[in-house]
Amino acid sequence: MTAEPVVLVDNLSKTYRVPEREGGFAAAVRGFFRRTYRDVPAVQQVSFQIAPGEVVGFLGPNGAGKTTTLKMLSGLLHPSAGGARVLGFTPWQLKPAYLRAITLVMGQRNRLSWDIPAADSFLLNQAIYRLTDADYQRTLAELDELLELGPLLKKPVRNLSLGERMKCELAAGLLHRPQVLFLDEPTIGLDITAQARIRTFLQEYNRRTGATILLTSHYMADVTALCERVLIIHHGRLKYDGGLTDLSRQIAPFKLIGVALGEAVAADLSRYGTPVQTEEDGDKHFIQVPADAVTAVTARLLADLPVHDITIADPPIEDVIERAFHE
Amino acid sequence: MPVLRLIKAYLRVNLQMALAYRAEAVVHIAVNLMWLGWELLSLTIIFNNTATLGGWGPGELVALLGVFRLVNTLMAAVIWPNTEYFNTSVRDGSLDYMLLLPVNSLFVVTFSRLTLWRLWEPILAVILIAAGLGLSGAGAAPLNLAAFLVLVLAGAVILYSLWIALIAFTFWFTKFDNNVTILQALLDTGRYPATVYPTWLRVIVTFIVPIALATTVPLQALRGELSGPQVALFLGISLLSLWVATQIWRRGVRRYNGASS
Repeated sequence: MTAEPVVLVDNLSKTYRVPEREGGFAAAVRGFFRRTYRDVPAVQQVSFQIAPGEVVGFLGPNGAGKTTTLKMLSGLLHPSAGGARVLGFTPWQLKPAYLRAITLVMGQRNRLSWDIPAADSFLLNQAIYRLTDADYQRTLAELDELLELGPLLKKPVRNLSLGERMKCELAAGLLHRPQVLFLDEPTIGLDITAQARIRTFLQEYNRRTGATILLTSHYMADVTALCERVLIIHHGRLKYDGGLTDLSRQIAPFKLIGVALGEAVAADLSRYGTPVQTEEDGDKHFIQVPADAVTAVTARLLADLPVHDITIADPPIEDVIERAFHE
Repeated sequence: MPVLRLIKAYLRVNLQMALAYRAEAVVHIAVNLMWLGWELLSLTIIFNNTATLGGWGPGELVALLGVFRLVNTLMAAVIWPNTEYFNTSVRDGSLDYMLLLPVNSLFVVTFSRLTLWRLWEPILAVILIAAGLGLSGAGAAPLNLAAFLVLVLAGAVILYSLWIALIAFTFWFTKFDNNVTILQALLDTGRYPATVYPTWLRVIVTFIVPIALATTVPLQALRGELSGPQVALFLGISLLSLWVATQIWRRGVRRYNGASS
């Protein structure tokens, strides 16, 4: 890395103190008078650097500490130990100059007012971030072009679909042209088309503005489309920091093939790959197959069995990560 | 001026939201007028039975009602809607966004939501004060009037400070939705002059809970019952309470760690 890093994280740690009690009425009464607390280490001694313009995926199962790290980097949380510098600022000092240079977008939170059209909330942002009319119009036009906001801006936010709202939320978070974007599950709950739309947008936005992006997502597709580099965090510790291609080669060089067979057929699929249990799709059987054998196995399946339906998919990101730590 | 621009922007958004719910505004104004009628009626009932209440005559009490309503406007137009908004934003986590805006978080939290149709009430309040004073036959000297205005402002600052402290406690006790109900209950003690309450209660009302002060004291100034140092003291108390409240708020924000981890 030749350029000065934009994000510099050094042994960052966060421990939550949470009240704890056992179930049951007696315990509830005891807990009312005398609280016991437990220290939960959410993030432990995490260190990494991000160069200007990089798009980095931040992965890990639920509760791994991704959001906590993003919140510390955006300035919402004070760390319990360690430090971080973003654009030369210490985030949790919440300096206005810092807040004008970054954005935090959380897929599950709303910043737009429910009852009024997004365009009106945008004007409020213009005043808050002290944007000149010229700058504001220019950025808005650009975001409009990339996200096709057009008619959405004039409808009250409560009348928008989830995908439409997310587009507006993203635009609201980017009106001040931040240099660093912290995105927490920006595509959560969206349908495939909307997800793809947001992805292309982020790619293009990064290309045009050179903004640095750190994003968390549960969707492997988000990460593969956007990030060359990933950070994997598990139980609060950084487990992997490196290229995405290396990661899947190392950890999950396999695909999942799902086949639906005729009712009467009870075929033994273990001849074709490792059978896997999944919750969804009762009538579909899933097998795990090495990535380079997918074509051959699929051909054999179709030739040998009365296949009604067949799907080929990447293993779920949670599985990949789980695998990373259990092998 | 960026601050003026910001206030203008917030007013604009609130006006738009108010216009989105027209029926609500009409109903509320009607209910409000009914309350005013009820309050005047209860004063009439009281004065059918006694000539003075804690040394205050009917005209003066009408004026007190006016001051009470003036302070109450702050409560109804600013404090209630923003508290509701604040409590919701703590629960759904959107407070995170508010804290990350590059402006004073206290400003955002206290002025995001304004109930604009309430703003006709100060006019009504001023009419009540003027009518009350006319009724009691006491004209107000210009100096007393100035002291009155300063003290109404100081009273508002005290009320505002108490409010800030109360909502900041939400950071310590996550579930504290009743925070402002307490404040309203306290404010309601200010509907009658502090002198009608027994001494022990008056001590509480005057010193521990300075809300009655917010209504009674300005009117005392208008009647010329307060000395210069007393006015200054009251002003000092209001500034001190604002400072304390700001400190509590800042500590609260530091403590805050979001709705989810």
